[in-house]
Amino acid sequence: MTNEAQAAPREYRWRMPANWWTRNRHYFLYVVREFTVVPIALWLLWLLVEIKRAGDGPARYSPHGSAAFVVFSVITLVFALYHSYTFLSLAGVIIHFKVLDRPLPSRLIVLAQFALWAVASVVVGFVLIWFAR
Amino acid sequence: MADKRITIQATRYDPDKDERPRLQSYEIPFSDDSMVVLDALNYIKSEVDGSLSYRWSCRMGICGSCGMMVNGTPKLTCNAFLRDYWPRPVVVEPLNNFPVIRDLVIDMDDFMHKLKAIKPWIIRRQEIPLGAGEHRQTNEQIDDFRQFSQCINCMLCYAACPVYGLNNEFLGPAAIALARRYNLDSRDQGLKQRLPVIADNEGVWECSFVGECSVVCPKGVDPAKAIQQTKLETTMRFVLPYGNRD
Repeated sequence: MTNEAQAAPREYRWRMPANWWTRNRHYFLYVVREFTVVPIALWLLWLLVEIKRAGDGPARYSPHGSAAFVVFSVITLVFALYHSYTFLSLAGVIIHFKVLDRPLPSRLIVLAQFALWAVASVVVGFVLIWFAR
Repeated sequence: MADKRITIQATRYDPDKDERPRLQSYEIPFSDDSMVVLDALNYIKSEVDGSLSYRWSCRMGICGSCGMMVNGTPKLTCNAFLRDYWPRPVVVEPLNNFPVIRDLVIDMDDFMHKLKAIKPWIIRRQEIPLGAGEHRQTNEQIDDFRQFSQCINCMLCYAACPVYGLNNEFLGPAAIALARRYNLDSRDQGLKQRLPVIADNEGVWECSFVGECSVVCPKGVDPAKAIQQTKLETTMRFVLPYGNRD
């Protein structure tokens, strides 16, 4: 062992506690935000299965309509709304537009995104209802 | 007022004796509403226990050396008023996510290496001779990077970042914010030299946008914004035709 190694101070190595995300409201909301994609991904996988079945013809198509699935769908919808809300709010921080050499305020960008979201929802809803008639 | 007292629980760690850090309580006079946590530590060191170790320098929120965890939140102790905590005890611990050298002193070598890696200075392909005069900027050009230039390297953002806590290979908030400060500077031409570090897996892409770095910054810098904007910019450079230009 060299003299330098002998002289090196012994440091206490920091370890992240397993419950770190419960110690702060922001950490908790962050983990919830990240977790919401799990049920959304599962629901979308099931949607792909339903689309495949629908493509195989009316005889094989039997949409899943149990009470448990309806509850799961409602919970997934709440998670999807929460995730979309956080995503669009945060995206306003990221996007950096300049008009006439002046940066657009983040608030305006966020509002524009929420407006686009509302318009897209109305259009998709209209198309679904129109073709389902 | 003269009888008012406050309990300070400070982390003690002697690497030659202790297996792990422990808290030690000190009850001290809280004689003045303008007292900050750093004043309390200075009182303990000068009047109660001279062996307590911690870093500090300017006492006015400029040097960035007195950052510690105060009741679990990363704070500059010169800017954390005891009146905001009294009559509850104030727990003062070393900054999270860093190795502890002694008591409240952390090892900041990792941050220093990361800071150096992003080359936080103006890089020119060819230096302009002094005789050519100053390199002028408009107010709008300064506004582009001004907020990121307020960083005082206090490392509170690293202590608040769970991503850095879980993987200390992550370049981290302050280093990326400073890289963005120079990349946005109209005088700088060093983007290509910084890209291999900031666009690396352990660079901006390790960040999952917790956002706590921006919440705790004592100077109003928004490192989370710098990181997400860098993600967008590096992606556009990759995707757009001729995007990889200087």
